[in-house]
Formats: sequence, C-alpha cells, structure tokens
Amino acid sequence: MKRNSTLLMMGLALLVAAPASRLLAADELPKGDAIVDKYVEVTGGKAAYDKIHTMVTTGTMTFAAMGLKANVTTYHAEPNKTYTEIEIPGIGKMQDGNDGKVAWSLSAMQGPHVKDGDEKDQAMREADFNGDVNWRKNYKEARTEGKEDVDGKECYKVVMTPNTGKPSTRYYDTKTNLLVKVAMTAKTPMGEIAVESMIDDYRKEGDILMPHKTTLKQGGQQFTVSIDTVKLNAEIPAGKFDPPEEIQAVLKK
Amino acid sequence: MSFRLAVTAAVLVSLGIAADKPLTEDQRRLNVESFEHVWTTVRDRHWDPKTNGVDWQAVHDELRPKLEKAKTMDEARAVMSDMLSRLHETHFAIEPADLYDDLGSDDAEPGKEKPSREGNPGITLRVIDGRALVTEVDADSPAARAGVKPGWEIVKADGKPVAPRLKKIQAKFATSTLLDILSERSVASLLTGPSGSGVKITFTNGDNKPVDLTLDRVKPRGVTAIFGNLPPMNFWVESKKVRPDIGMVRFNIFFQPDQLIKSVQDMVGACRDCTGMIIDLRGNPGGIGALAMGLAGWFTEKGGQQLGTMITRESKLNFVIFPRPKPFRGPVAVLVDGCSGSTSEIFAGGMKDIGRARIFGTRTAGAALPSVFERLPNGDGFQYAIANYISSGGKQLEGSGVIPDEQVKLTRQALLAGHDPVLEAAVAWIEPQKK
Repeated sequence: MKRNSTLLMMGLALLVAAPASRLLAADELPKGDAIVDKYVEVTGGKAAYDKIHTMVTTGTMTFAAMGLKANVTTYHAEPNKTYTEIEIPGIGKMQDGNDGKVAWSLSAMQGPHVKDGDEKDQAMREADFNGDVNWRKNYKEARTEGKEDVDGKECYKVVMTPNTGKPSTRYYDTKTNLLVKVAMTAKTPMGEIAVESMIDDYRKEGDILMPHKTTLKQGGQQFTVSIDTVKLNAEIPAGKFDPPEEIQAVLKK
Repeated sequence: MSFRLAVTAAVLVSLGIAADKPLTEDQRRLNVESFEHVWTTVRDRHWDPKTNGVDWQAVHDELRPKLEKAKTMDEARAVMSDMLSRLHETHFAIEPADLYDDLGSDDAEPGKEKPSREGNPGITLRVIDGRALVTEVDADSPAARAGVKPGWEIVKADGKPVAPRLKKIQAKFATSTLLDILSERSVASLLTGPSGSGVKITFTNGDNKPVDLTLDRVKPRGVTAIFGNLPPMNFWVESKKVRPDIGMVRFNIFFQPDQLIKSVQDMVGACRDCTGMIIDLRGNPGGIGALAMGLAGWFTEKGGQQLGTMITRESKLNFVIFPRPKPFRGPVAVLVDGCSGSTSEIFAGGMKDIGRARIFGTRTAGAALPSVFERLPNGDGFQYAIANYISSGGKQLEGSGVIPDEQVKLTRQALLAGHDPVLEAAVAWIEPQKK
C-alpha cells in the first residue's frame, strides 16, 4: 500500500531533524530481504494482500505546533494509481496524484507541478499498490545493517536501495517484525529534505494489519497523519486518477 | 509572518524593571538565566552550526563574567546585545521595555488583558519625512464619511502627540530598514482599538489647518483569515485596470491562497492582451511564504526558475516557481515600500533577480526571515531567526531589503493632489511598451 511520504511532500513543515539512535550489536542478523518478506507475512501474508485491489482512506493531518489540522482523503488502486487530497483550513486544497504514467501535484498556493526525474521515480515507487509484497520490483537490495533502538524498541535496521535514487532506511521491530520507522531523503522540487517517519497504531483492516498513525519529522518540526477509516476494495469514481485540467494544460505545453 | 514577528519582537513588554536601578539578587539570577538561554538558543538553533565562524563558546566565556558584574538592567542588556552582535546578523536582538508603549505592541501589559486592535477608523498611513500622513481612506469608512483625505497629517490621537514618539523611534532605528514599518505601526496602534470604540484624532488638513475629529473604529475591510495558532487577520484583495490596458492586483497580506490566487487568475485572464501588469505590495507585511512561489507562477512561462533559497540548519529549500498554464507574458511592475516585508520581499526580490519584474517605490523592510520571539526569564524580549534567505541573485534580503529599480517616494503634496507617484512611475514605464 501507499506509504505516507507522499503526504509528507504535501506537508507544510519543511525543516528537518534526525535524532540519532543508539547502534546496537550487528551480529547474527537476518538478511534484509527476509525481514521485508516477513513484514508482509506478519501483517497478513501475500494471499491477503492479493485480495485487495483498491483502498480509500480518510483521516487527518495535524501540525500541532502550528495549530493546524487538515482532512486527508487518499485513493489507491492497482497497479500504481494514487490520488490524495488534503484540505487545510486557511490554505485550501492540496492535491497529489499519479495515474501510473504522470505523477503530479497541484495547489492554489504553489500551482501545478508535473514530477520528473528522481522525484517521479520516487512517486512511482510509492504508488505501487502492493509495494511491500512486490518490493523486489522497485528495490535492487534490502541489506540489514544492524540493530538500533527506536523509542525503546529493538529494531533491525534495513537499508533499502531502490533501482534509481537514494536509499532509505527502515526499522523493523525485532519482536514483532512490524515496521516502526523509515528514514529517507525525499526528493522535492524545493530540494532534498531528510524525513523521518515514525509508524504506529497497527490495527486490522480486513485481513491486513495496517498502521493508522504516522508521525513525520522534518526540520525540527513534525506532523502526524492519522487514518480514521479504511475501505478495502472500495469502488473508486471514474476519472479519479486522471490528472486535472491544470496538469493537462502543463503537459500540453 | 516574519514581519509580524519581527515587529512584535521589537515591542516585547518587560516586567517593568527600571533600567538604572541597582539589581536585586533575584534580578541578577534571572539575568544569568536569560544570558544562558540566549547563548544556548543561538548555539542550538542558528542556521549555521558554526555560527558564522564565530567561536561561540569563547563569546560565552568572555561575556558571562561581564553579565555577572552588571549592576543595572541596562548593563545586563548591553552584555546580551553584545553577545548577539558578534553574529553580525539582523533579527537577533534583545528588546527592552522602554520602547514598548511607543511601538504599539500587541502584548498585554502584566496583569492586564491583551488590548484589542481589531477596529480602526478606515485610515491607512505612512510616516513620510517624519510626519504621519494619511495615504488612503477606506470607502464608506468613518474616516471617509468625516471627510478625511490622503495627505492629511495625523498630529494627535486621543490626546497623545505623534511627533515625540516618532522622534524616539527615529533615534533608535535611524539606520535600520525597519524604521518605516516600526514608525507606521507605532502611529497605527494609536488609531486602532476595539470595534465600536471611538478615537479623537487631530489632523492637519490640506490647508494646513487643524481639524479635530472623533471617529468610530470599525471592523477593517476584508474577511477574517484564520491560520493555525496565529491571531485572526483581515485579508482583502482587489484587482482592477488602472488603464484600459494595464491590470493591477493588490492585497494586504499573503493569506487565503484560494481567494488570492483566484483574483490573480481572473485578472491575468481579463488582461490577456494588456500591455502590462502591476502588483502592488506596498504595506504588505508578508504571510505564507510559499504563496510567493504560487504568485510568481502567473508571471513566467519558463520552468526551473526560483525566487531564492531558504537555508535552515538542516536543509536548503528552493523557492521554485511552477509556471501556470497561461501566465501573463507582458511587463510586470511590482510596487513596494518600507512597510513591505517578508513574503513581499521574497516575491519582489526574486522577480527582480530573475528579470521578470521592475520594482518601483522605496526600499522594503528587510525583514525576510522567519524569526521567533520569546520572553526571557528577566522579562526582556529575545528575537532570533531560524533561517537565512538568499534571493536568486545571491543577495541576502534580511537587513538590506529589496532596493527598487526606480526609487519613487510618496510626498504630502502628491497625496493632497490625489496623485500616487509610485503607481504613476510604473504606468509610465509600462505604457511605452505597448505593441
């Protein structure tokens, strides 16, 4: 399913801090690909994932320090289509989408943007509907680098190297094998931004154990994305993934 | 927003400790705590971890003993100000109490409720050549109904004379780019108050005769914009054609993106064949920084451009421009003055640097950085910036502002005659370019 880094790119907080975690012993470590595969297993298994073809979520995005709370709706469909809409009071609507060919973003504040290069590659990876199950399609290596403590949980530190672009680092709880943290450098038009996502509140949706809360830290600021409702195999309105008029106009230029 | 913070930082209230009285033991302790807070904040939050090459620990070790020996609040402040001055940056300051009232802080005095400044009589002013002049009167406002005209001088408000406070501000900020904006805020604070209340103003009219008027304060024009924890602010935008082939958009603050951008979009659409476009940012203190990018996208079709770069300790953020599908391609003039701050400066400076606009007016406020203000344990105010901003031409806007291509000042004579020399200069530049 889609990771929250797309939401992050749409976020307002723009500054970064990445607290270092304590490096633990790196002996007798399971292989990275085994850890990533096990994550799929502990969250429901490939067969359960394969039964899901679309997903619609609603939730909120909270910038506590700024006193802002936005409504977030996401649509996601196989194989790699996404549409996210964030309505922020005082800012208006921010949209981000991917129809499998064109990845884009649009807001009154910044205008239309068609992604390309590394930014597009990143968006395409994140749009992969069953990205966790089929991670080998997008990543050439998953390498375990050791164990680290993340908020009191001992975690495997797995460096994921994508086919293109910079590696990201995932932290899997050694006890549950659930993903608890992702650290990455997000490629945005405004520059490269180091981002840390703390992943939490795993709950079952259908047969899948799914995180419902992600806290994103960038530049000393943080915001939280909470998922309130999840509809699996929901019917998605026709045209939902089509790039809007403003994006079409940019594409025609 | 950084403007607001900058100005507010300059007006923080103190706890009323007289500057020249010997300090009590408690005050000494609070001064030491304040010193340590300031030093640590700069160490931990300055965008350059090397604090501009200054040996920050050495500064601490040199000045801490001096702070401990300070006998008065003035001496203690001088030591802390000396510490900050070593950075050679604007937006790092210790602000004492004595300017508080004159600068019109929004802060509450200790033990009192925050004063309401929501209402005003419909007057926009600027301090020009040391005089507080009406530059605009809102239509249908109490001031308009009473016959107040642009060019009238505001001499007194509720019995408080304007000239002495302006002299004090001039003395303190004579060399600062913030002089205009602080002067304007100081006089404006005398006129504002709760809606429904009245203010007695003594003017000097166009015939140089005194005019005493009591004007009601009313809710300012526009809509109330709410953005997170910030106090509600009024937002308005207007667009019109100042000549049949010259469009103009002006707005009071970079807020309400949907409404602002829609107005710009409509004007660009209505002005497709116009010779030129004017963006009037005079008096605009800034707002949401990203809106500078969104606005710029209406005036360029070239991708890959940026207005500038904001540098924080952890990242460099490019203020990129995403061209809109059908941008305005003709000449663009941007009007600014000493009360244009923050996002206004980012937009004007960037548009100038990428060669997409010609700037008219007077130097901007030089208050482009996002800064934070805090009250120190000793009651003084502490302002510090958390980022640096470099315009695309490589210039640091902070403390220097955007210098117009054509420097044009408002004058009392022009205002009384119903002229706007800055707007007229922009029109005069655009008109000959008609195809």
